[in-house]
Amino acid sequence: MRLVDKRIPHRRQGLAEEENAAKVILGDDFQNEQCLFISEVKILLDAQHEAKTAGDKNVTAVYQRAYDYVNQFARFKNQDSVREVRQFLADDTLESFEIAQLANLCCEEAEEAKTLIPSLTHKKDDDALQSLLSEMLTLKKFQT
Amino acid sequence: MFFLKKLRHSITLHPRYFGRDIQEFVKSKLYQDVEGTCTGRYGYIITVVQVESISRGNLIPGLGSAEFEIVYQAIVFKPFKYEVLDGVVNNVSKMGVFAEVGPLSVFISTYGIPTDMKFDPNGNPPCFQSEDQTIEKGTLIRLKIIGLKMEPNEIKAIGTIKEDYLGMIGQ
Repeated sequence: MRLVDKRIPHRRQGLAEEENAAKVILGDDFQNEQCLFISEVKILLDAQHEAKTAGDKNVTAVYQRAYDYVNQFARFKNQDSVREVRQFLADDTLESFEIAQLANLCCEEAEEAKTLIPSLTHKKDDDALQSLLSEMLTLKKFQT
Repeated sequence: MFFLKKLRHSITLHPRYFGRDIQEFVKSKLYQDVEGTCTGRYGYIITVVQVESISRGNLIPGLGSAEFEIVYQAIVFKPFKYEVLDGVVNNVSKMGVFAEVGPLSVFISTYGIPTDMKFDPNGNPPCFQSEDQTIEKGTLIRLKIIGLKMEPNEIKAIGTIKEDYLGMIGQ
């Protein structure tokens, strides 16, 4: 009879492969999670903000810093444009992480996008990426 | 990167709170317990978006307290090695630059700053300067994380701006 259960929890046995955003290795906990754009976080936090700060409730320092940050860096200011960006960036070949990085960094050139998000290099050719970026920039420019 | 992540948390409640508003109480205890915390595994938990389920309370034998399992969705911020992020400079010294990326502090040492940028201690405020860019308090910069250190209630990050397309963000 085997006394020792062979199914040792797999998860926390040290890191088999180090997390590496350049290769989109995010670890077990985050590999398949939904990434949020900074703009989406802003919408979510805005919706909560009044309830959070109402009365004499104290918000945590982490919350406050995140709130300031998303207000500083949200590229798309309203729900409609965020939804639209989400829609046309939706692409089966891209990981959720890469899509969010594209929307967050809002690069202008394909070259730039590939340098900042190296995992894109083999997934998209320059022209496809460039047209995606230009479309996103147009949307950003004309959002109300 | 910000994530929407499903998490679990268990809360032990003293019998004095058993009553009509127990659900509400468990929720507010959850907010108190988890919001603003930071773990190496999940990063910073910024805010709870939705409480999905609260289990029935389990009495702990010998104590009288009850334990609740809560499943909730939260916005978490977790930095990854080699991730490119935008941040705001909040301190400049001769050793390097400190930038804030949301709740995360990133230190960029002089080795991570392009060699043509020189520290100017007499500037007001002190800054790193080259011909085409100036980095001082309040400057928006794009940086890449090259090292992370998980501490009990904080994550420390080391960054660099000494690569293509990194550095000051033109406004």
